[in-house]
Amino acid sequence: MDMRFTPDELAFRDEVRAFLKAELDPGLARKVRLHDELTKAEMEGWHAKLQARGWLAGNWPTEFGGAGWTPIQRHIFEEESARAHAPRIVPFGIAMLGPVLQKFGSKEQQDHWLPRILNGDDWWCQGYSEPGAGSDLAGLRCAAVRQGDHYVVTGQKTWTTLGQHANMIFCLVRTSTEGKKQEGISFLLIDMDSPGVTVRPIVLLDGTAEVNEVWFDEVRVPVANLVGEENQGWTYAKYLLTHERTNIAGVGFATAALDNLQRVARAQVHRGQPLSQDPLFAAQLAEVEIELMAMSTTNLRMLSQAAQGQAPGIESSMLKIKGTQIRQRLDALTRRAYGGQASALPTLGNEGPDGADEALSATATWLNNRKLSIYGGSNEIQRSIIAGALAKG
Amino acid sequence: MDFQLSDDHRMLQDSLRGILTRHTGEALWPALVEAGVPAALLTEDEGGFDGSGAAIALIFQELGRAGVALPLIPAMIAAAAFAQAGQPAEDGAALAFADAEPGTRHDRGVAISVQGDRLTGRKTMVAGAEGAAAILVTTADALWRLAPDAPGVTIRPYPMLDGQRGADLILEDAPATRLGAIADFGGPLARGVLAHSALALGAITAAVDLTLDYLKQRKQFGQPLIAFQALAHRMADLAVEVEQARSAVTNLSGHLDAEPALRDRHVQACKVTVGRVARLVAEDAVQLHGGIGMTEEYALGGMIRRLLAAETAMGDADWHLERFARGEPAFA
Ligand SMILES: Cc1cc2nc3c(=O)[nH]c(=O)nc-3n(C[C@H](O)[C@H](O)[C@H](O)COP(=O)(O)OP(=O)(O)OC[C@H]3O[C@@H](n4cnc5c(N)ncnc54)[C@H](O)[C@@H]3O)c2cc1C
Repeated sequence: MDMRFTPDELAFRDEVRAFLKAELDPGLARKVRLHDELTKAEMEGWHAKLQARGWLAGNWPTEFGGAGWTPIQRHIFEEESARAHAPRIVPFGIAMLGPVLQKFGSKEQQDHWLPRILNGDDWWCQGYSEPGAGSDLAGLRCAAVRQGDHYVVTGQKTWTTLGQHANMIFCLVRTSTEGKKQEGISFLLIDMDSPGVTVRPIVLLDGTAEVNEVWFDEVRVPVANLVGEENQGWTYAKYLLTHERTNIAGVGFATAALDNLQRVARAQVHRGQPLSQDPLFAAQLAEVEIELMAMSTTNLRMLSQAAQGQAPGIESSMLKIKGTQIRQRLDALTRRAYGGQASALPTLGNEGPDGADEALSATATWLNNRKLSIYGGSNEIQRSIIAGALAKG
Repeated sequence: MDFQLSDDHRMLQDSLRGILTRHTGEALWPALVEAGVPAALLTEDEGGFDGSGAAIALIFQELGRAGVALPLIPAMIAAAAFAQAGQPAEDGAALAFADAEPGTRHDRGVAISVQGDRLTGRKTMVAGAEGAAAILVTTADALWRLAPDAPGVTIRPYPMLDGQRGADLILEDAPATRLGAIADFGGPLARGVLAHSALALGAITAAVDLTLDYLKQRKQFGQPLIAFQALAHRMADLAVEVEQARSAVTNLSGHLDAEPALRDRHVQACKVTVGRVARLVAEDAVQLHGGIGMTEEYALGGMIRRLLAAETAMGDADWHLERFARGEPAFA
């Protein structure tokens, strides 16, 4: 066993650091650190810089224009990016749809859509959830009826993250009501500029509107936009979910949050000393740091298994649970470090207390990050997956 | 022992519930005044007619349950403190309480300093500072009365988490009247903690009730969510914790007039217990709801934000836990 990064990996880390230092605008990094809502242009700008370096699609094989990184390289890139407060790569095109098209899409679909993801021509969003189908995703009702060369789609999707910026949405739609409910689902690519598509923002507790409701009213979608086979969408969705769940541990984000909390604890005064010196607070801080140390290694152990070709099983569910618990705990501690100052919310109005935007962002972040344990398969669903696997032995 | 409400308090509760269902927005405050709610928060000596722990706990629980955001707590604390110092405020005047400071969790006197009878520095999250007739201000070890229109006073308002207007108070050599040492005002400050805790308890109950209703009604996998044992047990755990919070509030309301050392242990125990439960309920209620619980449109959100605000007011659970463990007074 060797727990050190190899010389190649270390060299790669230095490259990533140098890139971030040269290319990441400090104003943008500050916005990311304070969890401010980024504009579409800011996100696209960062994608373009990464693409220019060949690093936008670390998870894609080189034959499709990706970087072809090993899982360890991806981990290094994600951790360094998070610690430098770089915008996170919007996952829908790169991390989710890309791998599905590469595995199940037709040659035409690959040739058309994959380059457009890389060069920023399309902004994708994910249309899975519906008001009645959340954890029970297979209960979805949004229907696609074949009429000649088109599917006619009618129904509603919800919680589509950043759908307000998107021109394309990949959807799970019901193409059959016979047999098991998982068996009548298809995977369809829909142009959001089509007649009959309506998008309405949903405002969240922190005042941001990063999610949307999307309605389809007899929207005509060319049959060419069906991925794989009709009624086989569930298979592709499951494949996509395992991809959605890589980097689910969020070690980089947790490390960045820990760095931030340590900085706050040094600056806050408690009994005439930095709060970081307070035994009670220091113990709480140490506890979550220790949790993170172990989780980080759990993550690396599982990554190196994946690098040896073992498919992630319940490991990704474990990482999801532990990773989100640690991040939510860090958010809670950050609010506690700020004490009474954590009682204003900048995004609800235009102004906050002068010079106190850091304290304000603590509560906004706490509120927004409740999503971590809800989306991508809630923590309860992950526990059922783990328990189910354990029971089977 | 008797934990039942007295007849008077039961009547107060009934009329309050009636008002809170009938009136909202601008119409609420006059209706509360007409029903005598502000006066019920103060003793006769302070210019009110009840002022008992039981009345304070009852009133703020109802307000918390109904989700009312009014700067009633700071006004009550300030009125009681002014009265104790022999400086009653004019009847019905709006009063504010400036306690929290930037740069510290809950210590006092970190961002504000005293020179003679003049104050310089900053207070933050001051609810109702705009338009207040007088502001009660804490410094390291004293309480002060400040006129908002005095020279050197700047008020910078912004919206707060619980829907109220708060403000930063920026003081540059601002003249103020010293009311006395903080340690001598344990009574008025303890009522403030009781009020914040009862308000939180009201919001806790409302959030837990709403969550339970939702779990009964929301179906996934062909069953109501409450049918899943993992969720049913979470609800059961929450119910257990709510009773702990209720008892902590009862303890403090029954010991408001106890000798200071005992009263302060209940102040601290109440803040620790209610703070812990508030945090747990805020986290679990959102989680059990799933995505809908995170939306501004749904009723839970306001409750969660008020819970978070009440949790940090006048010292959070950590701060009071430390003082309890060290055997220190709650306010010094
Ligand atoms: C901020 C945010 C962004 C999102 N982005 C997207 C997106 O881009 N695209 C998209 O398609 N979806 C997205 N989602 C949707 C997300 O995947 C769902 O919210 C999630 O699947 C949970 O579904 P639900 O909200 O309907 O909750 P429900 O399924 O109603 O669950 C409510 C609660 O019950 C629990 N529960 C449900 N069933 C069980 C069970 N059998 N056993 C035990 N517990 C159970 C859940 O864990 C949860 O705690 C997003 C959600 C959020 C909050």
